[in-house]
Amino acid sequence: MNTTSIDFKSFIEWDSNPFILFSDQGKILYLNNAAEILFGYVTKKELYDIALSYAPQTFGYKTTTLALNYDTYNFHAITVGYENEEQISLRLYNTPRIKAARKIERDKLITTDINILLEANIALFRTKNANPLKLLTDQDLPAFKIDQNNFSKLLRKTLNAFRASDSIDISLKLLFGQHVIIENKRVSIAQLSILANGRYADTDEEICTHAEVSQIKCILKERSIKLEIPLIQ
Amino acid sequence: METFFSKSDKIQHIIKSFNLTKTLFVSSIIIGEAHTGKKSLVRYLFPDTPLVSGNDQKEVEDALENNDELIITNFEKLSNQNSLDFTNKRIIATADYMGNPELIDDLFAFIYTMPSLQERPEDINYLKDLFIKEACSTLMIEDNTFESEYIPLNLTKNTKSLKRSVYIHLMKQSMDTQDIEEILYHYLLKHLDGNDAYREHLSLYERPLIEAGLHKFGSQLQLSQVLGINRNTLRKKIHEHNID
Repeated sequence: MNTTSIDFKSFIEWDSNPFILFSDQGKILYLNNAAEILFGYVTKKELYDIALSYAPQTFGYKTTTLALNYDTYNFHAITVGYENEEQISLRLYNTPRIKAARKIERDKLITTDINILLEANIALFRTKNANPLKLLTDQDLPAFKIDQNNFSKLLRKTLNAFRASDSIDISLKLLFGQHVIIENKRVSIAQLSILANGRYADTDEEICTHAEVSQIKCILKERSIKLEIPLIQ
Repeated sequence: METFFSKSDKIQHIIKSFNLTKTLFVSSIIIGEAHTGKKSLVRYLFPDTPLVSGNDQKEVEDALENNDELIITNFEKLSNQNSLDFTNKRIIATADYMGNPELIDDLFAFIYTMPSLQERPEDINYLKDLFIKEACSTLMIEDNTFESEYIPLNLTKNTKSLKRSVYIHLMKQSMDTQDIEEILYHYLLKHLDGNDAYREHLSLYERPLIEAGLHKFGSQLQLSQVLGINRNTLRKKIHEHNID
């Protein structure tokens, strides 16, 4: 097949996998839309260094499987290639997101005031830890349906990750204008964010499991945990 | 209605958390040493909730089927913990120890640890006074006949041993000559034996006599005068009984 007459540029431009073309000086010659967003979370130098480290020994293309994580972006492989001495390309492959096939178990969901559960969990946390803790919450957050038991476990484990942290900041707010689609319905999202000077990561997997059961998106970072909770009505 | 008293911060947090979750369908467990007041606390918070003991597995299973709200005591005794279904139920359990931590972690949303009495000195005095009152009434003793701060307190078994310390001390305080004679009578009945029993059991009388005397009169000289025995005899006896 003769491909020379096809202009591939816009295909790359709109690809959801980030693509970056560097000069031999590490300057960016070209980047697609996905890469532009990615640069909000990673420096140019870091990606250029990765490109150099994983470059093929001679002209050509080399794909390496590796796990890269920048904020909410996860990549499972990269391809580095060059055809001359002046340009080197880096392409990062998004890790496929496992779409939760889990069905919502409606009979387990009970209309709940999240503030009560949050406060109860903070009281539980307080029985074991005396670290300073600040809570900023939105008392007007509407009650929503959730599996109270599972959500409590999630809160307990999430807070427990901060058992040795100083200056824990907890905030709960509605994410204005953001929605998720659950069972073909638009559902608002509340965000519970816990931030500290550091945290334990030993139960991250369990936190994710519990979050998934309640359709909650969890964003785990070195010093914070964010839970995006759908306000199912 | 059950009352519950504690000045411990930890317990106040537990009570707060329970009060907040009282109306929610979540499972909670309080784990702590025996006789720390777990059951009293639960009864105080949930006075009308049906209560079953983990000693009877069948009873727990039946109760779970028929109730949305249930207290399970001695949860550690249940052998079928992994087959229990707490979905959409309000379960409050108590246990003397954790057992299988992973299972507990999986079953319960709220896992509280009840501090032992040793860990909450602020509660000891209150409980002591409570037991003194109770003991005085049970043993029919006037409660101004002794000094409560001299009661040796045993906290190894939490409230149970504390209560025992109080009762035993008060009983000792309230005994008259006849009681002491009776106690000695029963003791000797059990222990008299051998061919040197007189000398062996003399210490039952002599040791407290000399110890109390020294405490009261300070010097051996004075004590020998009070006892009406020779100072050297007293010295010999002090040495014999290893009294310092």
